[in-house]
Amino acid sequence: MRLPWKRQVRNAGPQTSRFEDLALPLLPSLYNVAFWLSRNATDVEDLVQETFLKALRGFESFEPGSNFKAWIFRILRNTYLTSRAGLAARRTVALEDELSESSESGPAQYPEAAIDRQTPETNLFQLADRAALQAAMEALPPPLLEVILLCDVEEMKYREIATTLEIPIGTVMSRIARARVALRAALENQYKPQRGFSA
Amino acid sequence: MTDHLSPAMLNALVDGELTADQLAGANEHLAGCAHCTSVALHQSLLKSATAKAGQRYTPPPQLQERLARLASQEDSRGQAAGGRPTPAFASWSMGRRGTLGWAAAAVLLLASVSMIFVQRATQRAETASAEHAALVTEVFDQHVATLAANMTPQVVSTDRHTVKPWFQGKIPFSFNLPQGLPNDTTLDGANLTYLRDQPVAQLLYSIGKHRVSVFLRQKSGAAEANETAAERSGFHVTGFRTKDLEVVAVSDVDPARLAELVSSIKHAQTGDQK
Repeated sequence: MRLPWKRQVRNAGPQTSRFEDLALPLLPSLYNVAFWLSRNATDVEDLVQETFLKALRGFESFEPGSNFKAWIFRILRNTYLTSRAGLAARRTVALEDELSESSESGPAQYPEAAIDRQTPETNLFQLADRAALQAAMEALPPPLLEVILLCDVEEMKYREIATTLEIPIGTVMSRIARARVALRAALENQYKPQRGFSA
Repeated sequence: MTDHLSPAMLNALVDGELTADQLAGANEHLAGCAHCTSVALHQSLLKSATAKAGQRYTPPPQLQERLARLASQEDSRGQAAGGRPTPAFASWSMGRRGTLGWAAAAVLLLASVSMIFVQRATQRAETASAEHAALVTEVFDQHVATLAANMTPQVVSTDRHTVKPWFQGKIPFSFNLPQGLPNDTTLDGANLTYLRDQPVAQLLYSIGKHRVSVFLRQKSGAAEANETAAERSGFHVTGFRTKDLEVVAVSDVDPARLAELVSSIKHAQTGDQK
């Protein structure tokens, strides 16, 4: 069975076997995701640097022409999990997952009522507030944040995310759903006072 | 319409994860369901807004440069090795592209060459040490035999101009005898003898009442030590080497006085007469 990261990279363009050509274009993405996860400028440089070193070390085993992005993001994620920030996050996440992971195999809880309360204008106004959305993302538990970063920011497919995070696709889907629900809820809470004041 | 699209289906829709059949079914449902259309639109807007908001941090130029250097160095190393980059570690502070690879290769080469030299030097030293020990034993035996037999030297003369020519045709090398000798030192004569199956000139001196044998032989290739010093049963052995000669002196005289004689012979070989 071929591993998902062995699949061809989408829009990969001319294939190259040089680490430099494969890795350097991904540096902004790696740094961005690493910063979201570690939330510390010093830690993030170490994290990205170590990821690069590990990738270099293991590049011999990487199959040329396969999905390098999923491969190196998995290295980043594993490096993060064993870092100080990652270990601290895992302790927090373990409790959070224990409480709500049971719902991952089934449909996510959808606040359809909340959606119904909002008008399209309200939605657009909230979503245009970049700082508010970033604050809502910061408030996400790490498992939900990482899945939403890989899905929405890095535009990875569910299977690639599952491979990168080493979780089942069903868990990817449920976490994405929960993350979006949490983001909507956070945005709604941020705008409640203004709406109440203006009403 | 009561059967709305599931949250998973709506997410998969905006994430482009539906199969062609699933997409066709979802589109058909959305065409007749305002609620699901609103949710799908919101999901889509949220996804694009999250994508923009999520692109928040950019790597500092120093980090980009550092990692670019590292990557290019590793690629250069890999190409130089005739394949893909090898998993070698690199220093973050390296200079120009490829420098690390060449430096590492140079260090490895130097280390290998050094190890070979050290091994060969060790072998040479061990060989020289063994040969020296054998030589000391042999000159000691020869000197004691000369004393015990109380034999008359093959050439009896105190004149260096007599002794030196006597060896012509007898040994495959030549040597010089000192013009002046230390106090209380005299040349008694010389013998033609053999050390390790090689013809050797044995010069016989007296320092006071002490007899001295000085052996001169053609230098062999194995021995390394320039100076020879040893003691055996109260006898002192010392010597020196020149470009062509190996000289060993043995006597029971005071080592300092023996050294004076040896020094004068040494200076005679180098032309530095005192």
